[in-house]
Amino acid sequence: MPDKLTDAQADATRRERSDRRFASSTPAPATAEPRQDGRRPAEPIFDVDDVHVYYGEHKAIRDVTLNIQQNEITALIGPSGCGKSTFIRCLNRMNDLIPSARVEGRVVYHDEDLYGSRIDPVQVRKRIGMVFQKPNPFPKSIFDNIAFGPRVVGMKGDMDEIVESALRRAALWEETKDRLKTNAFGMSGGQQQRLCIARALATEPDVLLMDEPCSALDPISTGRIEDLMMELKESYSIVIVTHNMQQAARVSDKTAFFTVELDDTAKHRTGHIVEYDVTDKMFTNPEDKRTEDYVTGKFG
Amino acid sequence: MAAREAHRLRFQDELRTLEEQALGALDLVVTALDRTLEALEHQDIELAALVVQDDDRLDGRYLEVHQGILSLLALQAPVAGDLRVVAALLHVIKHAERMGDQCVNIAKLLPVAGYEAPKDEAILARIVKMGALARSEVGQAKQAFSLRDVALAEDLVRQDEQINKLNRECFQRAVEIGDDLDRREWAMSMMLVARALERIGDNAVDIGEQVAFVVTGLFREFSDASRA
Repeated sequence: MPDKLTDAQADATRRERSDRRFASSTPAPATAEPRQDGRRPAEPIFDVDDVHVYYGEHKAIRDVTLNIQQNEITALIGPSGCGKSTFIRCLNRMNDLIPSARVEGRVVYHDEDLYGSRIDPVQVRKRIGMVFQKPNPFPKSIFDNIAFGPRVVGMKGDMDEIVESALRRAALWEETKDRLKTNAFGMSGGQQQRLCIARALATEPDVLLMDEPCSALDPISTGRIEDLMMELKESYSIVIVTHNMQQAARVSDKTAFFTVELDDTAKHRTGHIVEYDVTDKMFTNPEDKRTEDYVTGKFG
Repeated sequence: MAAREAHRLRFQDELRTLEEQALGALDLVVTALDRTLEALEHQDIELAALVVQDDDRLDGRYLEVHQGILSLLALQAPVAGDLRVVAALLHVIKHAERMGDQCVNIAKLLPVAGYEAPKDEAILARIVKMGALARSEVGQAKQAFSLRDVALAEDLVRQDEQINKLNRECFQRAVEIGDDLDRREWAMSMMLVARALERIGDNAVDIGEQVAFVVTGLFREFSDASRA
């Protein structure tokens, strides 16, 4: 069993996170007071309202409205090209990096409009971390991989502690503590992916976005990442895009099913949400026939 | 992609075959029930022996469907509507197997009741009527399942109430049957027959409940057994 953060450390992290707001933002509204018991009730962390995303003239996703709850794992499923990745990238303004991309509608994060004019995208990505499909460690030592983000954002404190804490939270400390100075490329694929999770955790985010984090991994490494997700959701909120139906069923609390429609010329595909509900219900008794057909493998 | 589609089509075929096999078991039950009722009416011990003998077919069908369902769960991990059908089929095949056992129970009682003519026409008439109702319920349960017809499934309760009523009447009649030892013994064995038929009706209603589960995703009892 890998070491975990002590309760005191976890509490401190939680308190610190609840205190933090975007530097340029207005004070927190009265409803967001710290809870007495330290456990957060499920409350929306993202309030996505009627979001449309365009790449140039072409509409990639339309009419996405949903709430993502704190300390839950939310899975996004759907056929290829239905806009799952496009959507998850809206949640930390990754789409800003694509010049032709344009987001309409509101993505409210902790009562802040993420696309508001006063919001700093770099701060957003610090608070809302992302893990990608293929492990993409930097060609540096394990230590430097983790320390990179905290250095960039100018985090104060003992870097050794920051690195150890991130590696522990990613259940990677025991395997790496004696080889922190070795190159990250020497790690196995599963370890590299956990390193990327540790790297995302190092900047103290409160949301982790995962875009098919296990698709390049074997079942055992996948199992370890899934175990890790279950541990992490105690302190973080996780949104995961997955093509693995059983993975969505195993790990997530809520599941959103996206599908895609072709326009008249059959050239452009626009994704939209069909159904969003508690995972258990989505996989045993979905409301919409299209969800049913997709999860049972009849289309998609 | 094409391979995956073929894989999924094969899964749908397998699921359909399993459903046919499980519902086919209800046809075997109807056959067993027909023979049992005929043996009962005519004190045909030979026919009763055949019912006992033939129950092996139902037991075999149970094992076959059970194994098929296990394989399907292990290899295909069905979800949503498919998952509900698979879960319901496990119940259906179990109920079919139990109904077959009830026919065997009745068949084994016949030699106990003896070769002589029935001792009480009123009891026998009611039992024959119960048998006919039970037979009709089994057929209707099968039809409701294959058509996914919840209304038809719910209608089973109505028929089952008639069986329950006849069962109580048989009991009343048996209590009042008099001092003659032979008559009392016969009436006692007929009570066991009535009880077995009544259980077959209950199993048919249970299958009806599975129909509602498959269609709606919610399990609910059609009638409250504790108050029936």
